[in-house]
Amino acid sequence: MSQLTADMKHGHGHTDKAHLLRPANISLQHGAGRGLGVGLLVIGAALSLIVLGAGAAGAGGLSLKHAIGAYMVGTIGVLAICLGNLFLVLAFHLTNAGWVATIRRQAENIASYLPLAFLMVLPALIAEIATHGKLFLWLNPAYYGDELLLAKQAYFYAPLHITDPETHNPLTTPVFPVFFVLRTVLYGVIWTFLSRTMAKLSRQQDESGDIALSARARFTASWGMVLFALSTAFAGFDYLMSLDFKFFSTMWGVYFFAGAIFSGTATLILTLARLRGSGKLQGVVTKEHFHDMGKLLFAFTVFWAYISFSQYFLIWYSNIPEETAFYLYRSDVNSPWRGLGIFLMIGHFIAPFLIILVRGVKQRPALLGAMAAWAILVHMLDIYWVVRPMVDAGDGARPGLENGFWADVLGIVGPLIALLGYLIYRVPASCLIVKRDPYLNEALEHRNYV
Amino acid sequence: MAASNRIYVTEANEPIYGILAEFATPASVCHAAEAVRDAGYHKWDTFTPFPIHGMEEAMGVKRTKLPMLVAAGGFTGVGLAYLMQWWMSAVDYQMVTQGKPYHSWQAFVPITFELGILFSAFTAIIGMLALNGLPRWNHPLFKKERFLSSSDDRFFVCIEAGDTKFDPDRTRALLEKAGATSIELVEE
Repeated sequence: MSQLTADMKHGHGHTDKAHLLRPANISLQHGAGRGLGVGLLVIGAALSLIVLGAGAAGAGGLSLKHAIGAYMVGTIGVLAICLGNLFLVLAFHLTNAGWVATIRRQAENIASYLPLAFLMVLPALIAEIATHGKLFLWLNPAYYGDELLLAKQAYFYAPLHITDPETHNPLTTPVFPVFFVLRTVLYGVIWTFLSRTMAKLSRQQDESGDIALSARARFTASWGMVLFALSTAFAGFDYLMSLDFKFFSTMWGVYFFAGAIFSGTATLILTLARLRGSGKLQGVVTKEHFHDMGKLLFAFTVFWAYISFSQYFLIWYSNIPEETAFYLYRSDVNSPWRGLGIFLMIGHFIAPFLIILVRGVKQRPALLGAMAAWAILVHMLDIYWVVRPMVDAGDGARPGLENGFWADVLGIVGPLIALLGYLIYRVPASCLIVKRDPYLNEALEHRNYV
Repeated sequence: MAASNRIYVTEANEPIYGILAEFATPASVCHAAEAVRDAGYHKWDTFTPFPIHGMEEAMGVKRTKLPMLVAAGGFTGVGLAYLMQWWMSAVDYQMVTQGKPYHSWQAFVPITFELGILFSAFTAIIGMLALNGLPRWNHPLFKKERFLSSSDDRFFVCIEAGDTKFDPDRTRALLEKAGATSIELVEE
């Protein structure tokens, strides 16, 4: 169709392709923002670690249990954002998507933070294992006698046991969670490998323009997607669902995934809106691209609602105590978390649904960027809603926000600042688009015809 | 015909439906569409064997109202479904199910969702047909042997005689100028 479009001289199209692809439009000054980026990365990581440190020292009205919880909210939230972008990159390759040639580089950049985002989660896990379970009560020998934990022990401890092999009595000394740690290492390897490979292949194509690199990326994405799906779902089970070891939901992996893609798409939109706002990518990432990314954001706010309601619905209907406890604790009329749950229903679904439904919102980078920022906020609150109540649960502590609220805020803001710093450092390091992607023409001419 | 007080007839006294012009290439039919659009015609259409990107703009077609109709249909479905279930379960025939309250919004969600989808889908398909003036039994253009190639390798523009700007001579001249390879009158 390109010949026809050129023939018709319809204003856009590749008549002025060279002009669109001039270096000033599709690249930032190499090494720009390096100092600022690294600085913010360090500050963000330091702010997060201060929370953990204060918890360990018992400073600022903070318990270690609370500190680990606050630290996990932000770090796992950012991990989900990066996983979301890894998914987008893999999905773009798998579906041979043409329109994404001008936006995929930024998804790769965000996904490239995965190894660091994963490293940021580790201190919480190390603290948990070292202190034998503050939040992860299944690590605590006091719970080794629990019938439900005994039934699930292999998932955490295999090949070790938390019962005496002779007498079958629960052990009183902490057992090292071998299988859990092995899985964590495996997630790190998978995510590092996939994010690195995807970024590397696309950068190589910037240099050589070799079409075979696209085919290789697509092949890697084919089996990489399977690994991504399994690792993301099980990371959701391991790091969030296991906060209450009696609770179980086979839908939890999809629930974590849905939030990840929602917030990941939002971060991608924000990054591109910011680049457009600074005068870059003019005519390269157009309102048509924002329109389609807006559709993705819309789709995943619906998907999140669909999954999280379905999860709740089945548990509500079947009324099994070990399942309903999760919701009862968060939605009981006396629960301090009830308001947050209702806010999430409105803020994470109903409001974004009605607003992003409007075509004009999806097509305007400023409006869509505002919705994306909102999406990141409610995504963090969603994870906060999962993690934070567990800080007060179980040991008779008075539930509520009063004590150490500063840590909750810092735990969310710190990892986000670190991500921002990384992007400021990373984005100028390569061309802002995949400039020699075989589908580049298609992306430049991309339009929504309806 | 109703839009205009002038009624055009052929020499055989047949009322005229419009003027059909044939074009050889997608580009030429697109340019012709732009010319017809710029001349201010409203009751006209183009016929091509495949969708031509940019044709909506060339024809000056306005965006469809269908999304608004679908939204209205969908939200009506959602509202009606919830109201129906509330009335049946909590008002008209109260029955304790699984120890849940009569008015359990959780239980109402699936049907509310499904009816929202159903009403949206019905509004979309029925609205689409209605806005397109479908179904209809026949079309005057089908009488033209030449028009058959519109599903093969030829491109057509047809301007209806019912258009207020229609004038047999000037409309024909416009299409000739736009590069039509053949022009003929179509009887009603």
